[in-house]
Amino acid sequence: MTSIPYAIPRRRARHAVARRFEAAGPLTYLFLILVVLGSIFPLYWSLVVASHTNAAVYAYPPKLLPGGNLFHNIHRLFNAGIVNVDFAKALANSAIVSTVVTVSVVFFSALAGFAFAKLDFRGRKLLFVLVLATLFVPVQLGLIPLYIEMKHFGWLDNIKAVIAPNLVTAFGVFLMRQYIVGAVPSELVAAARVDGCNTWRVFWHVVMPAVRPIAAVLGLLTFMMSWNDYLWPYIVLNARNPTVQVAVSDIATVAYVPDYSLILTGCFVSILPLLAVFLLLGRQIIGGIMQGAIKG
Amino acid sequence: MKVERTAVLTVPRTRRRLLRRLDSRVSPYLFVTPFFVIFGIFGLFPLVYTGWISLTDRNLLNPVSHFIGLQNYTQLIHDSYFWNAVENTFGIWFLSTVPQLALALVIAHVLNTKLHARTFFRMAVLLPQVTSLVAVALIFTQMFGHDYGFVNWVLGLVGIHHVYWEAGRLSSWVALSVMVMWRWTGYNALIYLAAMQAIPEELYEAAAVDGARRWRQFVHVTVPMLRPTIIFTVIISTIGGLQLFTEPYLFQPNVSGGTGGSGRQYQTIVMYLYEKFLGSSQFKFGYASAIAWCLVLLIGVFALVNYLIVGRIRSAEA
Amino acid sequence: MNGSTTSRRRRKATAAVIAVAAMVTAVCFVASSATAAHRDAITLTVDVFGDFGYKDLYAQYQQSHPGITIKEDTEQYAPHHTALAQHLATGAGADDIEAIEVGYIAQFAAQPQNFVDLRQYGASDLKSRYPAWKYDQAVSSNGSVIGLGTDVGSLGICYRTDLFKKAGLPTDPATLGKMWPTWSKFLAVGQQFQSKIGANGPKFIDSGSNLYNAIIAQANPAYYNAQGKVIAASNPKIKGAWDTTMQAISMGLDKGLSAFSNDWNTGFKKGTFATVTCPAWMMGYIQGQAPATKGKWNIAPVPGGGGSWGGSFLTVTKQSQHPAEAADLVKFLTSPASELYVFQHTGNLPSEIPVLTSKAVQSFTNPFFSGAPVGKIFAGSALALKPQVLGPHQGDYQTAASNAIQRVEQKKQSANASWQQFLTDVQNVGG
Repeated sequence: MTSIPYAIPRRRARHAVARRFEAAGPLTYLFLILVVLGSIFPLYWSLVVASHTNAAVYAYPPKLLPGGNLFHNIHRLFNAGIVNVDFAKALANSAIVSTVVTVSVVFFSALAGFAFAKLDFRGRKLLFVLVLATLFVPVQLGLIPLYIEMKHFGWLDNIKAVIAPNLVTAFGVFLMRQYIVGAVPSELVAAARVDGCNTWRVFWHVVMPAVRPIAAVLGLLTFMMSWNDYLWPYIVLNARNPTVQVAVSDIATVAYVPDYSLILTGCFVSILPLLAVFLLLGRQIIGGIMQGAIKG
Repeated sequence: MKVERTAVLTVPRTRRRLLRRLDSRVSPYLFVTPFFVIFGIFGLFPLVYTGWISLTDRNLLNPVSHFIGLQNYTQLIHDSYFWNAVENTFGIWFLSTVPQLALALVIAHVLNTKLHARTFFRMAVLLPQVTSLVAVALIFTQMFGHDYGFVNWVLGLVGIHHVYWEAGRLSSWVALSVMVMWRWTGYNALIYLAAMQAIPEELYEAAAVDGARRWRQFVHVTVPMLRPTIIFTVIISTIGGLQLFTEPYLFQPNVSGGTGGSGRQYQTIVMYLYEKFLGSSQFKFGYASAIAWCLVLLIGVFALVNYLIVGRIRSAEA
Repeated sequence: MNGSTTSRRRRKATAAVIAVAAMVTAVCFVASSATAAHRDAITLTVDVFGDFGYKDLYAQYQQSHPGITIKEDTEQYAPHHTALAQHLATGAGADDIEAIEVGYIAQFAAQPQNFVDLRQYGASDLKSRYPAWKYDQAVSSNGSVIGLGTDVGSLGICYRTDLFKKAGLPTDPATLGKMWPTWSKFLAVGQQFQSKIGANGPKFIDSGSNLYNAIIAQANPAYYNAQGKVIAASNPKIKGAWDTTMQAISMGLDKGLSAFSNDWNTGFKKGTFATVTCPAWMMGYIQGQAPATKGKWNIAPVPGGGGSWGGSFLTVTKQSQHPAEAADLVKFLTSPASELYVFQHTGNLPSEIPVLTSKAVQSFTNPFFSGAPVGKIFAGSALALKPQVLGPHQGDYQTAASNAIQRVEQKKQSANASWQQFLTDVQNVGG
């Protein structure tokens, strides 16, 4: 957790790999393909179940190929009379929550990260140690007082209760600080100041453009985390105004008769947005995780 | 022109300097304030306040609560359901973490070669991480069904009798571990991969000179060099694993109501906390808070223990 | 150059302001979208558990009351009541109308401050419709009426005639009723069944907890005595029900499914068990679960005489913005015509005397259950019913008992150890 510089010597590393190892053999590929199948299969399986009727779920031996019922099931999913959950609203709620949280986390993390990386002020070290400490404190265990707080604010059953506690993360501040240390030359900051910029302008004109790559990564990870969050939304929201995770779990837990084709349709639909993002930006996400790993 | 400008600027210069000093003094604090304020209100304060609530008999149904000292904690120490939950949590953690990290190391090692379709493999390995916990839990629950589940069908093909995954203690732990492993192995593999690529070339060259083959290089160079990263992943998985909730909570969701099976065979600590908090009609906030604090303590101690154990990797190698 | 920098700075500053403003708007939008729930028309929300069979009735009511929209939420039995307690305590989140099952009615009748007193809306005039005990269960100690009765859960035994025939047993309800006047005779018939069918075939009963709950339903007192004291540990009737259940398990008659689980649901379709203890509401459940088994079922009288398992109430919460309209809907849904409709279409047994004695109910037969005179069987035992003393944690004890039975079924604990743990659980719930 100490200060290995953030920017990793990527080119050298790749070069080294190329020299170090000969091309992978067929056994390697076989192993990897098995791993890939294992990764994909449960998702494929959810599609299979989601595209059949519930009766087919109890077929034995199980049906292994997708059926033709997917759109019918999706149709049922969005029919509040059938599932008792407003799934469209759930998707909208999740989109709002994840977007607001992502924008806020990225912005405030960059702001604080910049201060910790490039500004001189009394107590900087101490405050940053505080940030580091909270990285490893499971703050989500404060959920009982948090629930009482939300009750006090009158925010129960309101997505404000899901947004507010997630507006900042220690991880984001830490990530930004590490990146800015390496990616924003102090000379540039000084030059901007000579040019007459005040601190805010330095942040906006110099730092923000420079952190764009890491901001994208932090944004993606935050969005994913926020979209997939379950326990806290489950505690403060109800079936009439849920996030998508709460909605899916409600479909699964509420009915006396679990309709697995419907439940897994819900799962499948809830995964789709992130799946799309992942397919479009997977390279960046991987880059982000791997870069983040180095500094750990 | 130059003269003109200076003349214009002379008057407000002192004010400007003042402003600038103010800016450099105050701005840093303004920049870090949002984080600390929001974090304080919604992160730190609740955690500390949990400590206070744990010393009271606070209950959602009672308007007034009383200070009762350490009574919740003494009760908790004698609560067999709590220790049962601790045992389950550690059991599932162990079953999921050890094979997960070992497999992640192997996958990383394999990915760290000259590969065709490198990005494809990396993305495929990371795919489960994108899937939400809720979806993972529900999909796997269906797959682990007793009479009509996919897993039992496959086992049936090789002549193994149907396993009632949810009912047994060990079998439910295994099923839940598989869920955790599936979601996190690829993620850890990529972290290891990143760390592997940062290992200096010279070490491998030296090993190669000593005649070490690839596997031996892996054991004698790669693993020791990854020690900090392994420690990092173990600690992260400790923090995450001890807070396991979603998968077991949604395992057979239509029956259990959060007790983790009829014999509480897979009730984790956070599930028990939730049961006392909102999951049953008891609403014992004080007691649940005591559970929360004990969990924080457990996580701290256990993360430290893991740090020390994993820290021995190198000493064993040396 | 100076000028252009300034303007660029200004532009960027403007951009910053816009960005912040956008964020603030986003937050405000979130805030307002959640609070601005005003509508001209009224939406009434009804929170039930399982299937109350109200869908058609809502449509009917909405048609005759323009401007009113009804939304139903449904949950599982135990979580429904837990969430209700939570919503009442936090003062937010409860629906206009909340259904409460008999196992929990005492708990909620003890907090009349959270419910609208239905006497304001003429509940007292309806008292004569109900058996006195049914009406009184929803009356608080301060006299306010928090709910009106929907159904009662009188008992029968639902059985598969095809499997009985295979086992060489009679399939006629009356004969069977004579064969099992008591629960021990019932198990004896089970033994006969199992020895013919074999240990690997379908089992005689579905689930130990269903057997147990039916026996408990006939006991009075059960978990509470008349003074409201918990007597679960000392009441021989509880231990008796437990022992009978354990006997069924050890005789190998029990399929060991946990009620309302997946495998239990599937069991109806696949015929993996021959009998289910049947409160009236179970009929609707079986028909919904296994429509293809139509005609294979029949219903016989329950061993041990009448008993009530289940039955519910509709209440209006104080959180309702439209108590008058909600109360009117409650009165509609619990009206004799509605109760009759639900009985005929879903199976839940009416709780009102005029309905129970009506020709429509008495002569009602159900083709799904081989044309069994279900009206006569269930209404008869409902009218003869003597109510059980209830207490606030009734439902929790029932859950604890089901878990205890399952532990034995799944061979995780011996019968004795499980019983001891059940007693501890009962104590913990109380404390």
